[in-house]
Amino acid sequence: MKQLFTFLFFISFLVPAALNAQQKTDTVKTKESYGLRVGVDLSKPVISFLDDKSKGLELVGDMRILNNYYAAVELGFEDKISEEDYMNYTTKGSYIKVGVNYNAYKNWIGMTNEIYVGARYGFGLFNQTLNSYTPNVKGTYFIPVEVLPNTEFKDLSAHWAELVFGIKAETFKNLYLGFSFSFKTMISTKEPTNFKNLYVPGFNRVYLNDTGFGLNYTLSYLIPIIKKEK
Amino acid sequence: MRKYLILLFILSFTLINCEKDDICIETTTPKLIVVFYDNAIPVEKKDVTVLTVWAEGQANLYDKKSTDSISIPLDLNQNRTTYIFDNKTIKDTIEFTYERKDVFVSRSCGYKTIFENLQIESRSANWIKNDTIKNTTIDNETTIHLSIFH
Repeated sequence: MKQLFTFLFFISFLVPAALNAQQKTDTVKTKESYGLRVGVDLSKPVISFLDDKSKGLELVGDMRILNNYYAAVELGFEDKISEEDYMNYTTKGSYIKVGVNYNAYKNWIGMTNEIYVGARYGFGLFNQTLNSYTPNVKGTYFIPVEVLPNTEFKDLSAHWAELVFGIKAETFKNLYLGFSFSFKTMISTKEPTNFKNLYVPGFNRVYLNDTGFGLNYTLSYLIPIIKKEK
Repeated sequence: MRKYLILLFILSFTLINCEKDDICIETTTPKLIVVFYDNAIPVEKKDVTVLTVWAEGQANLYDKKSTDSISIPLDLNQNRTTYIFDNKTIKDTIEFTYERKDVFVSRSCGYKTIFENLQIESRSANWIKNDTIKNTTIDNETTIHLSIFH
């Protein structure tokens, strides 16, 4: 994990450095659209359709604020049943992520594709329901019976930070297809008593060292508001 | 653009495949630790020479063993367990009562059961002369819970 982290870290520096090296000496003036881009994460409905234990939706939005900087936001909800070896629980809640993307891709004139790195702050509000568990005992002298407590742990929350890597390509006029992955690290959580936030909406599975990752496949539409001359 | 797309895809799959933290390595439901002492010199451990132990209605847990300490599981589906301690075919029965509490351990281990307020409801006295509950809470296997004097 650490190796990967280091690798990503280096890439994040190399990409903009390599692309900035190309000097711009063009004098042709073109117009570029600045506006609000809204979209949806395509993976969530597909997963909801394929797996009846998982429901969710994520809306994404971003806006160009400076030449290469975009303010970005993601809003979503999830309702997911997770199965572990000795227990089964449901996580239900919503989340918001806000942050900035830096576009490191030097476009040809008139193109608005992106290869970006970004940072996010994430916040989730959710409930966990412990549906069932089987007490874990070594050996088979007494075989434990599955317990169905149906305990609901309400008003839980989590704060986390994300490092995002992604691409966006304009496939049709003002219509963008995007793919990104994010590396997450938990800042703080409100944990349930005698249970743990093993899955957090927006954060996904919480690994042992309080890290996580996510993948997004987005389809978004740019609502052009202003056109600036470049 | 395509190069980056491929790179991102490969990276995303390496991320998915790494780090599986679901092997249970923590300690789970503890057993009751019983140590046998000499009734004449109560500070000294004394072997039971031909010990057979089983819970009522279950198979033998220990079979003709010579030992001064055993660990026996408690029934985690009810609040009582009856054990028969057979020493050279002389049998003694101890009926334990307790309360159960399920404690969260981890993702991979789930919950373990700990036992509180351990009591001896009844005991016959054929070869066992005396008993002392050293710990009424059974939440680990590192301390002695019950001393038996014979």
